[in-house]
Amino acid sequence: MGEVKIRVENIKKEFRVGENVIPILFGLDFEIMKGEFCLLIGPSGCGKSTLLHSIYGLEPPTEGKIIIDGKDIWSYSKDWRAHFRNKNIGFIPQQAFWIKSLSVIENITIPAVIAGASFHESIPKAAKLIELVGMSKWANHRPYDLSGGQQQRIALARSLLLDPQLIIADEPTGNLDHKAGDELMKLIEDINKQFGLTVVMVTHNPSQYCFGTRIINMEDGKIISNETQAKSCAIEAQAKSCMTK
Amino acid sequence: MSIISKIKNSLLDRAYRLFGKEREDIGVNMQFSVITLISWRNIAANKIRSFLTIGGVGIGIGIITFLISLGFGIQEMVIREITKNNPSNVVEVSNGSLENLITLNDETMEKIRATEGVTRVERAVNIGVKFYSNDTKIDSVLYGYTRGYMEMANVRIKEGSTNFSDTEEKVFVTPKLAQLMGYDNPADIIGKTVQYEVIISEDIINKDIAKKQEKEDIEIAGLINDDSNKNTSLYAVTMYDHLKEDFGLTGGQAGKVEVNIQADLNSIRSRIEQMGFSTESISDTVTDVNSFFNVIKIVMVVFGTIIMSISAMGMLNTLSVSLLQRTREVGILKALGAKRADVFKMFIFEAAIISFSGGILGFSMGYGAAKGANAIFNYFAKQRGEDVVNFISVPMYFVIAIVAFVAFLGFATGIMPARRASKTHALDALRYE
Repeated sequence: MGEVKIRVENIKKEFRVGENVIPILFGLDFEIMKGEFCLLIGPSGCGKSTLLHSIYGLEPPTEGKIIIDGKDIWSYSKDWRAHFRNKNIGFIPQQAFWIKSLSVIENITIPAVIAGASFHESIPKAAKLIELVGMSKWANHRPYDLSGGQQQRIALARSLLLDPQLIIADEPTGNLDHKAGDELMKLIEDINKQFGLTVVMVTHNPSQYCFGTRIINMEDGKIISNETQAKSCAIEAQAKSCMTK
Repeated sequence: MSIISKIKNSLLDRAYRLFGKEREDIGVNMQFSVITLISWRNIAANKIRSFLTIGGVGIGIGIITFLISLGFGIQEMVIREITKNNPSNVVEVSNGSLENLITLNDETMEKIRATEGVTRVERAVNIGVKFYSNDTKIDSVLYGYTRGYMEMANVRIKEGSTNFSDTEEKVFVTPKLAQLMGYDNPADIIGKTVQYEVIISEDIINKDIAKKQEKEDIEIAGLINDDSNKNTSLYAVTMYDHLKEDFGLTGGQAGKVEVNIQADLNSIRSRIEQMGFSTESISDTVTDVNSFFNVIKIVMVVFGTIIMSISAMGMLNTLSVSLLQRTREVGILKALGAKRADVFKMFIFEAAIISFSGGILGFSMGYGAAKGANAIFNYFAKQRGEDVVNFISVPMYFVIAIVAFVAFLGFATGIMPARRASKTHALDALRYE
């Protein structure tokens, strides 16, 4: 059995809207092993993104613990979590956001400059990563000049800059066409396999279920299944048949 | 990591160890150069908006600099002109009014000289005179000066020599007076003898030794500089001792009292006034001039404050809009691990860059415009044969005040957007539409 990368213990989350308390997550428990490609799936509003953001250290849970590499991340300060995220987790948001005034390659260096490096020091590493995602010729363009698929490739390069052992992706293909989405997924899969990174990703797209080595299926803030690779493709087939119907 | 960060970390480590606690590893902050570069790039990326904002600050600072440099310059010029012939440690003494018969005779001179702090006392007299030359009679004023008085009053001899005894019958005349005496070229009168007749009040002569006031010959020793430089003054200057010896003069109506720099000018003045004289000091005029210019400066400060308030509002507006436009940038920076302090600095630096750029631009424009105005003025002055003057001055404390003000402006306008940006929650910022 592999080493546990992420342990989620009895995570509950409620949102307060005026006088009303809206429960989103109902005591979730699961583990993600090192090197796994974990997909969080489920219908809209089931709490996938909330859970992902809690794991990433952006959304505080109402109750429970999220332990990454043995550290209960919500027991530390905001600045500690910011540093932890920066150093240990690569992040690919649903829609890539950029510092508009910087070039593509400078945007890739952002995690390093946040960690105290200069642009000059970080550019060589960023150049290697932009090559890895096949976007070298766009290095000196402005990021918003690129297509959605190209931007997500750059976001992937940015997420890898500080050699994180964990990648968190929030529906990175959500705004992409089928082809661009598949290309990105293949890139993420390659990186997962090549570097043994743990990937936790939210997706809606059943055709991507095959990429996951673990699929956590959620509904109404609860986990209805937590399956490893053996059953992933069966889930995909089931999802496809549901969609056909 | 900078030396300051290293020292800070080392001190914090010690403090945590002292209280037996484990210090959280929160990494280091972004480099100053990186934050500055991002702020600068953001300003450069929004050229028109940045240009207008920096221009707004620049115009404000420029107008203030222009007015202040003009205000200080004119004030300095006026004071320079006033004090040119009147050092501030010299008290002018006079007998005040026609009704006041007290004069600067030997006795009163001695009393003043004996006052503590007084280093020198000189006197002058002015009397009526009639010059007769080439069948022309000219009424004029004849000043009787001691050599010390001439030196203290900076009386300048234009042509001729002062190498003669104080009791000799010699006189200096203004060029205009020489012309009226029939010498078209005033210098031609030097060495010539003319007749003169003095009219001296009986109150200041010793009748026992006084000569009869009648026509006598007197040699023209030279030309005296006409203070107005317009060749309109009609007066003559002779030595006080000559009038004393020839006409039994007992005292003068005016004097100059030089006092020790460290001495209390006001107490010396009140002592002299107790003797019945009136006193004046250039410091009175300087104080009046300063008071006048202080009012002008207050008006300029009020005016400047209004202008700068408008500039500051423009700047605040720009920074607020910049924050709104960059909300998602703030979100991604925070999501990727930027700390509140880093985001705060980014916005504060942007404000600082805008205000300092505006400050430098405005100061240069304002000072340049003032210097330009001075140069144009001098160009026309030269063409009219007037002296060149410098009426532009920026005191060092004003430059320091501008730097401090610009820093304050940057901080004051930047702090609100910077705090708001630093407090923005990463997820809220990423979801911002």
